[in-house]
Amino acid sequence: MSRQHNSIDRRQLPTALLFVSPWLLGFAVLVLYPFIASLYWSFCRYDLLSDPEWIGLDNYRRLLDELLHGGRFAVALWNTAYFALVSVPLSMALGVMLAVMLSWNIRFRVLFRTVFFLPSVVPVVAASVLWLWLLDPRDGLANYALSWLGIAGPDWFKSPHVALWPVDWLRGTAGIGSKDALALMSAWGMGNFMLIYLAALQDVPRELYEAAELDGANRARRFWHITLPMLSPVIFFNLVMGLIQSVQAFTQVYIVSDGMGEPLGSLRVLSLHLFLTAFKELDMGYASAMAWVLFVLIVVSTALLFRSSRAWVYYAGGTR
Amino acid sequence: MNHEYSIVDVARGIGIAMVVFTVVAFAFIAPGDRTEPVPDGRREVVFWHFWGGSDRAVVEEIVNRFNASQTKHYVRAVAMPGANLDLKFFLSVTGGNPPDLLNQDDPVVADWAIRGALAPLDELASPEEIAALNTWLFPAARALGSFNGRLYALCNGLDVRALYYDRNVLEKIGREPPATVEALDALARRIAPPRNHGRRRHYGYVPDARRLWAWGTVFGGRFYDPRTGRITADSEPIVRALQWMASYSHLYGGDALLAFRQGDQALTGASFPLLEGRYAMIMDGQWRVREIEAAVESAAANGRTLPRIGVVPLPKSGDGPEDAGWVNGNFFVVPRGCKNPDGAWQFMKFWAGFGGNEAEAARACVAGGWIPASSAVVNQPAFQRYLQDHPDFATFVRLAASENQVPWPAIPVAQYYDDQLRVAVSKAMYQGADPRAVLEEATRNVQQRLDEVLQHEH
Repeated sequence: MSRQHNSIDRRQLPTALLFVSPWLLGFAVLVLYPFIASLYWSFCRYDLLSDPEWIGLDNYRRLLDELLHGGRFAVALWNTAYFALVSVPLSMALGVMLAVMLSWNIRFRVLFRTVFFLPSVVPVVAASVLWLWLLDPRDGLANYALSWLGIAGPDWFKSPHVALWPVDWLRGTAGIGSKDALALMSAWGMGNFMLIYLAALQDVPRELYEAAELDGANRARRFWHITLPMLSPVIFFNLVMGLIQSVQAFTQVYIVSDGMGEPLGSLRVLSLHLFLTAFKELDMGYASAMAWVLFVLIVVSTALLFRSSRAWVYYAGGTR
Repeated sequence: MNHEYSIVDVARGIGIAMVVFTVVAFAFIAPGDRTEPVPDGRREVVFWHFWGGSDRAVVEEIVNRFNASQTKHYVRAVAMPGANLDLKFFLSVTGGNPPDLLNQDDPVVADWAIRGALAPLDELASPEEIAALNTWLFPAARALGSFNGRLYALCNGLDVRALYYDRNVLEKIGREPPATVEALDALARRIAPPRNHGRRRHYGYVPDARRLWAWGTVFGGRFYDPRTGRITADSEPIVRALQWMASYSHLYGGDALLAFRQGDQALTGASFPLLEGRYAMIMDGQWRVREIEAAVESAAANGRTLPRIGVVPLPKSGDGPEDAGWVNGNFFVVPRGCKNPDGAWQFMKFWAGFGGNEAEAARACVAGGWIPASSAVVNQPAFQRYLQDHPDFATFVRLAASENQVPWPAIPVAQYYDDQLRVAVSKAMYQGADPRAVLEEATRNVQQRLDEVLQHEH
């Protein structure tokens, strides 16, 4: 039986390969080759115009040196980390909150759901330009609205400061700046996350809420003890995806920072730094090393998240 | 005959049919060559450029005139976004299919030349032609295309900076436009007295953090010493220039200036900060003359009046040189390994006006509002008439001929140099860093990178 099965499998293999060949071809040319080539280039001096020259670990040593001495790589890493650490929790908290509210039986529920989802289908370029106008310190609507409340609005994308770094609170230099504005812009586009939460919420068994109600649990306790644990698998999924997206963010950063990570390099995140190093400074070998460090960082962060998920993600089916 | 087909056979058949269908469909759907065919007996010159807007029409006109004048070559112009034109160029070179001619305006000549990506012009032209070309070009135009004493690029138009000012504001306070840096400071303070509160909507003058290249030269400095091969961004005149630029942050506050300046240069036409009344004086290039004229005309048609704008050379600093400043420009380069270098050379000459085409080039410069790369084109009657009608533009053209209009140093890593300087200036202007310390750091970084590249390439 087993032998016959294997024989059929083998006979079917060419057919299966034929079916997946368009994808295989694309994968090999557009993913696998660049993946392997960039690994090789990361050990080379390569300027795109002449042949790569093997230099061993020099590019990685340079990265380490910049990291230890606060060079441009360290700054780019800090910019990326800050953006990820602010934008991901913000998007997730907003997404869960809105999804829960939109699961309530309220009037115009469908309209609200559409309105909150809409930003996530706006093209990134259009959204970025829109936010640039909205958050313009002088003429933007945001600061105009704040001025009604007697508040002098921040400089948003035109300030290098950060609002949520405790060291700057102590120094007295904290302020809402470009990275905070970028995180705010990302949170605006959290409709995809919200939709996934909303779908997961439909799947939470009603009887759990009924039982909790009978036990006298109020809305907040029901949210904390039922909704959140039941949502935890999708929260985990969104967390992983959100982290990867924020570390790879490029288009919106390129647009709001004049393509150079301005002001004062405060938006020179890793992906933009990598692009500028490779294609403007003709340092493709070094940029490839950076790309690999970025890749390892994402893998390690994701692995840590998976590890931590054992402690806080609840699978109703019992499978992890 | 009795045929029995299994599921596997059917699936295989469907798979093959799908692949065949996809290939055939792509063959039919894929766009064919929709451009005009190259006339018989002529060789194509593929020309990449980034001109858009009203300039695009001028470019097409030049190409058409060249094609009409030719029996050997035929130029096909391909317009593409300028921001990443270099990236496309690298890919084409790496892929072995570069264009025949490329227009650029970034400091890339030395970087590309030292890596063997460019054909030096002496490989395209006779020694007599090259000798004549060297004297034909303005000093700045020659410097823009040179590396290691050889011409690798032919400048086709210079971009010169001067000081634009709002005539209304200056007349109102009874002052003349500034001729010295000290007068500029006094005017800036008079128009926008320093205060410590609120977000300003108007300034007299604020230095642009990207333009230490200009002010360093005005203060008598040079950014590179070709005799010693040393980066000299930390030399005394340049340190003084940065100290002066940073003094405006002490007056108005670094954060306020940073927020105010961001994005200024991207605004064109009626959004030009001077027309919006955001400054009384600002440094900018000659292309603004035409934009201002168009904006004024459009405003008048709508019954509005805009500020009256004037232009003077950048103010002089103490015993610094006259008519000094930073100049860049557009230039043609011929990639090594292209298919038709001779055609590219003929077209370059035609466009720039070298070798008997001066009158044609003058017409093109008038149409585009461009500054020619040679006095031979400037002296053409058509161009002279244009200068008489546009005296503000004439100021820029006069400056273009000055020996003290200096471009980026012709060294590899010039782009990195520009980046490092911008970071240094921003730190000094907006974060209160010591100008000398940041310039020393930038100098060290650039020198190290330059030494690495030179050592590697040699």
